[in-house]
Amino acid sequence: MSEATVLDELPGDLMMWVLIVSELLVFGAGLAAFLAVRATDPAGFAEAQSFLNRSAAGLNTVILVTSGFLAALALPLREAGRSGISRLALVAASLLGVLFLVIKAVEYSDKSALGIGWDSHPFFTFYYLLTGFHAAHVVAGIVILLLVGWRNAPRNIEVGTAFWHMVDLVWVLLFPVIYLLR
Amino acid sequence: MTTQALITGWLALLVFSFVSTLIAVWPIPAHWQALAGAAILTLAWLKARVILGRYLGLAQAPFWARGFGVSLALFCALLLGLYLIPVML
Repeated sequence: MSEATVLDELPGDLMMWVLIVSELLVFGAGLAAFLAVRATDPAGFAEAQSFLNRSAAGLNTVILVTSGFLAALALPLREAGRSGISRLALVAASLLGVLFLVIKAVEYSDKSALGIGWDSHPFFTFYYLLTGFHAAHVVAGIVILLLVGWRNAPRNIEVGTAFWHMVDLVWVLLFPVIYLLR
Repeated sequence: MTTQALITGWLALLVFSFVSTLIAVWPIPAHWQALAGAAILTLAWLKARVILGRYLGLAQAPFWARGFGVSLALFCALLLGLYLIPVML
């Protein structure tokens, strides 16, 4: 007779949680390094940060958490047999992901127009590295959301949306550190 | 996770995001910056807990919710410590 372990409590797939923890550690190390380097040049980091568009990043936060909400809705909808609406929620979530990327691209384009590149200041090295790596995860997440919308077994939706929530989770930690802390 | 729990989680995320952005754009005097930073990081921790609990379903796994909550709190405390180095010097 098998006994339930504490691992059985974990919702979804164990390997997805391993990935989530790995990603949190990578981004966490990046954010800690960012603040450690900032401590050596707080005035330079504050000046560089003043070139960021906080409103656009705030809007992107609203977009991403709303996208996460729609993705989270997809599973209970699918389990209730409302497959079509569940698919619609996943497509809407992925479209919001695309909108996030469009706003991010405008943000990068604005920096480029000002002559700001990754090597303009250590702040921007971290900025492009962390937000760019996150944006790459958004691209992967959009593809995964569309895939699980297509092959929409509840198990697929649970695992696929967990990746999207990880992208969301990283952003709510990255956004305040890079954009808001002055 | 129930639809009601997801909706309240989403609303909480919107409120926490709005408040943290408001704190950041508000013209806060220099001697209150440390407190503002602590508030912003506390809100980031709360947002992370909502995503873990509601979106990722850890609300139904108390052991793991506690583990992630404590780990994230320690991480945010580390970030706050690093943030405060130049403020305190």
